[in-house]
Amino acid sequence: MNEVPEQIDPRPWLAAARGGARREDAMRALASDEPGPRELAALLSPAAGALLEPMARRAQALTRRHFGRTVQLYVPLYLSSHCPGGCLYCGFASDRAAPRHRLEPEQSEDEMDALKSMGFEEVLLLTGERCPGADYAYVRDCVARAARHFHNVNVEVFPMETGEYRGLAEAGCSGLTLYQETYDPGRYERFHRWGPKRDYRARLDAPERALRAGLRFAGLGALLGLSDPRYDLLALYRHAAALRKQYWRSGISISFPRIRDQEGGFRPDFPVSDRELAQFIYAFRLCLPDVPLVLSTRERPALRDGMAGVGISKMSVASRTTVGGYSGRTQYSEGQFEVSDGRGIDEFCAMLRAANLEPVFKNWEAVYR
Amino acid sequence: MKDEWKIGPHKFSSRLILGTGKFADGDSMCAAVRASAAELITVALRRFNREKTEDDLYAPLASLEGIALMPNTSGARDADEACRAARLGRELSGSDIVKLEIHPNPHHLMPDPVETLAAAERLVKEGFHVMPYIAADPVLAKRLEEAGCASVMPLGAAIGSGQGLTTMAMVRLIVRESRIPVIVDAGLRAPSEAAAALEAGCDAVLVNSAVAAAEDPAAMAAAFADAVRAGRAARRAGLMAQGASAEATSPLTSFLGAEHRDE
Ligand code: SF4
Repeated sequence: MNEVPEQIDPRPWLAAARGGARREDAMRALASDEPGPRELAALLSPAAGALLEPMARRAQALTRRHFGRTVQLYVPLYLSSHCPGGCLYCGFASDRAAPRHRLEPEQSEDEMDALKSMGFEEVLLLTGERCPGADYAYVRDCVARAARHFHNVNVEVFPMETGEYRGLAEAGCSGLTLYQETYDPGRYERFHRWGPKRDYRARLDAPERALRAGLRFAGLGALLGLSDPRYDLLALYRHAAALRKQYWRSGISISFPRIRDQEGGFRPDFPVSDRELAQFIYAFRLCLPDVPLVLSTRERPALRDGMAGVGISKMSVASRTTVGGYSGRTQYSEGQFEVSDGRGIDEFCAMLRAANLEPVFKNWEAVYR
Repeated sequence: MKDEWKIGPHKFSSRLILGTGKFADGDSMCAAVRASAAELITVALRRFNREKTEDDLYAPLASLEGIALMPNTSGARDADEACRAARLGRELSGSDIVKLEIHPNPHHLMPDPVETLAAAERLVKEGFHVMPYIAADPVLAKRLEEAGCASVMPLGAAIGSGQGLTTMAMVRLIVRESRIPVIVDAGLRAPSEAAAALEAGCDAVLVNSAVAAAEDPAAMAAAFADAVRAGRAARRAGLMAQGASAEATSPLTSFLGAEHRDE
């Protein structure tokens, strides 16, 4: 039976976050110089929902202080939609009828060329769970190719062993993104019906293995909507805090992917509203002022525009969640999830500039590999 | 007499150095640089982008007249990475000045003293004019001076914290013993803090967030320029001794009589 490890267990603060915290607690947390899990719980609580504007103001001030007037941009590149997994909420699950595609390594370079000519310098390579069509050797090969094109190469792929992560680092990979989806072990088991992803602990410990192996950045997240978001966010915070203490030379970032009910017919039990999502992001910015917070194109333009620079310091742009599709040579239709912000780079950057923010494509240097 | 200070053979009269990583766009960055009258600007190698001009910080700065650029090694985690970055920065910019930054923790960006000293020793041998970013540690400052660094750059507070000159007592110790320029780097928020650093004998200050995150960056840059000039002028004028007027009586020494009054 899966259990949430003690060091990330959110339960000591859960009652406060769910409604135990009062408005005064939230106000005190808002003004705190040294916010910790107690303050986070108060800021995530329904009571803090009445303090959105002051939270946003402070979130913006902290974001500006630590990241300046810049927003870092990256692009996802889906390498393969093959997956033996049975995740209830995912369009790539193995019981979905959709045809599967995989970029041959040479085809992946066409996509990389296309992304490079769009100006990207940071790419996130994605696959589903480990399977013969998209195994370790394949991922490593694609990383090595991407490292010839981009200054910063990250992966969002299946959990690996430490030695495998070391191999990725040697091939030029800087970091990994790996969402726990939900930290609630009981619900985790329910959503992950079959496949390697069923192993909660193997997934949970993967970022640690990666950092130990020498990757420099780990992106964490929970798929908001699967479980009580306050449970997941408190656990996520503790997960990030624990990794930061142990791997103090590494960078942690946090994403806020939100599942919506139109995806593959899946209806989340805990839908998160726009207001709640904004509140949660502000709360994280207040409690983790120097950690990059990420928002993807899952969200619609108005929400993304409103959050850029106000808590959020890093965003994907021009994303296709289909396999292929950037170069125009390999265009397949079915994506992993729906993109809500379909704006192209120029339009998105124009929005950022109008908001007095600088879009940053290159914020890393391959010489550091 | 001209009031100049030097990094290796390079002479400067402005004592304000600007960082460049946090501006909304190239235009407001250049406007702030001009308003600051700075002659020395640092730019992170990781923000050089030769392939996408609107993303590149280096080219617009290089086009400004009368400005020396020092690439910095921000992002380097250890001495090896910093040395590689310094060499690449010199190759791309032609500048032999390097701001040595080694901060293994990408969140608080505190400098690693051990790796910084190791990298400084190597880079000095390779002919760089090395300006290391360090914690305000007087012993480390001397070690870096002995290693041949062109300056030391102790932090006033954590980068981007805006807490001001929280390390003032240590900075004073560094200034008192240093034979190379001492430049307060990081943590400053208000022009008055920059003035205080110059009054305390620092040779220059470096600011980035304080200007870039201000409502009006160019106006704030000009305010810092004024403050730095005032602080430097005050230092040269010689500040009066503290508490000199508060000693009306000398109960312990009055028996000595007026003719034996101490200076
Ligand atoms: S979430 Fe990942 S593991 Fe699960 S079905 Fe989708 S691609 Fe496969």
